[in-house]
Amino acid sequence: MTAAHRVRPRRIVDDTLTYTALIIVSLIFAFPAVWLALASFSKSGDLFSFSGFFPKEYSVNTFRELFTNDVNGLYPYGKWFMNTLYVAAASSLLGTLLVILTGYVMSRFEFKGRAGLKKATLLLGIFPGFMGMTAIFIIFAQLGLLNRLEALILLYAGTAPLGYLVQKGYFDSVPASINEAARIDGATQLTIFTRITLPLSKPMIVYTALTTFAWPWSDCLLPQLLLKQRESWTVAVGLYNMPDQQFARFAAGSVFIAVPIVILYFCLVKYIVGGLTAGAVKE
Amino acid sequence: MTVNNTQKKRARSPSVLTKLAAFAVWSPLPVKLSAMIWGLGQLIYGQITKGLMLLAAFAGVLWFFISRGFRDIAGFFTLGTVRENLWLGVPGDNSMRMLILGLFSLFALGFAFTVWYTNVKDAAFTARRVERGKKPRSFRESAAALADGKFHAAALTVPVIGVAIFSILPIVFMILIAFTNMGGEIVHPALAEWSLSAWNKILSFGKVGATFVKILGWNAEWAIASTAVNFFGGLLLALLLNKKNVRGSKIWRAFPIIAYAVPGFISMLGFKFMFSQSGPVNQMLTASGRGAIFFLSNVESAKWWARGIGLFVYAWISTPSIMLMTTGILSNISADLYEAASIDGATPFKQFTKITLPFVVFSLTPVLISQFVGNFNNFGIFFFLRGGLQSNYADYFLASDTDLLINWLYNLSVNNNYYSIGAAISLMIFVITGVCSLAVYVNSKAYKSEDTFR
Repeated sequence: MTAAHRVRPRRIVDDTLTYTALIIVSLIFAFPAVWLALASFSKSGDLFSFSGFFPKEYSVNTFRELFTNDVNGLYPYGKWFMNTLYVAAASSLLGTLLVILTGYVMSRFEFKGRAGLKKATLLLGIFPGFMGMTAIFIIFAQLGLLNRLEALILLYAGTAPLGYLVQKGYFDSVPASINEAARIDGATQLTIFTRITLPLSKPMIVYTALTTFAWPWSDCLLPQLLLKQRESWTVAVGLYNMPDQQFARFAAGSVFIAVPIVILYFCLVKYIVGGLTAGAVKE
Repeated sequence: MTVNNTQKKRARSPSVLTKLAAFAVWSPLPVKLSAMIWGLGQLIYGQITKGLMLLAAFAGVLWFFISRGFRDIAGFFTLGTVRENLWLGVPGDNSMRMLILGLFSLFALGFAFTVWYTNVKDAAFTARRVERGKKPRSFRESAAALADGKFHAAALTVPVIGVAIFSILPIVFMILIAFTNMGGEIVHPALAEWSLSAWNKILSFGKVGATFVKILGWNAEWAIASTAVNFFGGLLLALLLNKKNVRGSKIWRAFPIIAYAVPGFISMLGFKFMFSQSGPVNQMLTASGRGAIFFLSNVESAKWWARGIGLFVYAWISTPSIMLMTTGILSNISADLYEAASIDGATPFKQFTKITLPFVVFSLTPVLISQFVGNFNNFGIFFFLRGGLQSNYADYFLASDTDLLINWLYNLSVNNNYYSIGAAISLMIFVITGVCSLAVYVNSKAYKSEDTFR
């Protein structure tokens, strides 16, 4: 009891310090998000018309205008949104298939050239991603695919297999004995893959589908490079090109595409942390 | 030594040659025919579908190379010989186009060679089967064998082609561009040639060289500062939320996770608006009687403001991920260690420096080094914050004082057509980051325990 008495004043100091720090930290992280969310409900659009950080008057009008009024074709958000959805969904579908296949093969098969492929992907990972930008632009110009959303899908899905390491790690951790048993029963590799591996790896498929979806969903640079016409832009490019006068529109557009992603992250935070460390720290 | 080497060479090289010679002598006529005209051997063995498919592929390859492929490959070496002449109506050569089309044809040649090789191997396989008195495989059997015995090859074909076209081809293209004089004044219709002029410009003491040195210095500072801020920020956050007297840590943890979950470009653009000339921060400054500050604008006085804001925004976006990882690591430290330490009379501070910090640093080192490389090439942060600034600062060549090498490279090659200089810089970045990555990879556990088959 006496010991507890002696400790108490120190504990009070510690508690106040801890909670003050917590409140400050939470404010720092929450404030910009809250600021944007409130701005999206502003009645006037111009950044300068706000009183300091917050709008003078609130309304849901910006959200309605986002889809109905494109200011003479300058900000066709609905179109951008459908473009983004199309690119992200198609890249996710194709990319997931390719990455899962690559990860599975690199994990389960011993073949000539496997070590070479591994080293090649490692080497490619070292090159800065932007290095090929000019070349990519020229290639797509030659193929007549500029301003085409399909060009982006090809790019995202085509380069997705380079990130196969997380998937390989997953398949490494699934015991191979089931495969061997099926093999003894006369199943072909294709049957094993479609009937055994795919159903068993649902969590990995979900994780891969989400990450391959989230990248095109929030990438701004490749679309900026390849899509030159306003109506073929994705949401990210559109938001990038919004001026101060359209601040409320920017905020509303951001909130509209960020909210689904934020909810997704909260549901999946466990898996994502696993994925973050999987490439680097192994066992 | 030399004698030994030549002996080895002599001993090795004939073995391949003799093998080839033996194959050429031994192989029956259909295999030889297949080697000349794809699919012919297969047709003779009665494998109609496969033979026709290979024959069609052969026709396609021949058509491609005769109609343009060989011309494109020649163009790869000359980079164009005919200059455009509008008076005479001569369309002229486009060096950039010739380089990329030539490269593409070379890739296609490699691909054609692979198909040819597979085709000969397949014919030889069938020949051996026939010799042993078995029937040649039907198309269905071949397809089944491909899906089963060669599953890995069949499965990896599409990924490999995709990566080859969209990742390897552009990179090889850029490497080659670094050794031409393309860009600046030499753009279409002028003809380019192979040269080292880009390297001369960067490594000499001209304006380009001076800019390179200046940007490289800031780039290194940025990479070190941002990685350090990120690590210590994330660690402090994790320790704070992990304290025993914090109640409802799940709720407190939600705030950083929001910052982590919002797409990065939205956060960066949001901060750009916050610190913009007419933004809320400046409104409050003017309202309180002080003048507005040019935080991110295109003026020289913005240099350290912009750099500082960049660091803060970067920390805002990425400390939460370090926090999440560190929280996981902290839960792995055995409580016994702390108990033993406190029995021995170690203060909490001592426990932190002797137990917690080494443990976290040890577990996070690979992540930190890959983040260091990522930060070195952090294109987005200043691109979004300063809106891809195009300013011509007096002592910078087409760059601003917050640009990293990667921003400069983008400015040079995508916006200003200085292709060869941009390509040479990207090669430099590759060397710098490559050395870091390689050092990490070689020292990583994953590499050391490689191929202990599980």
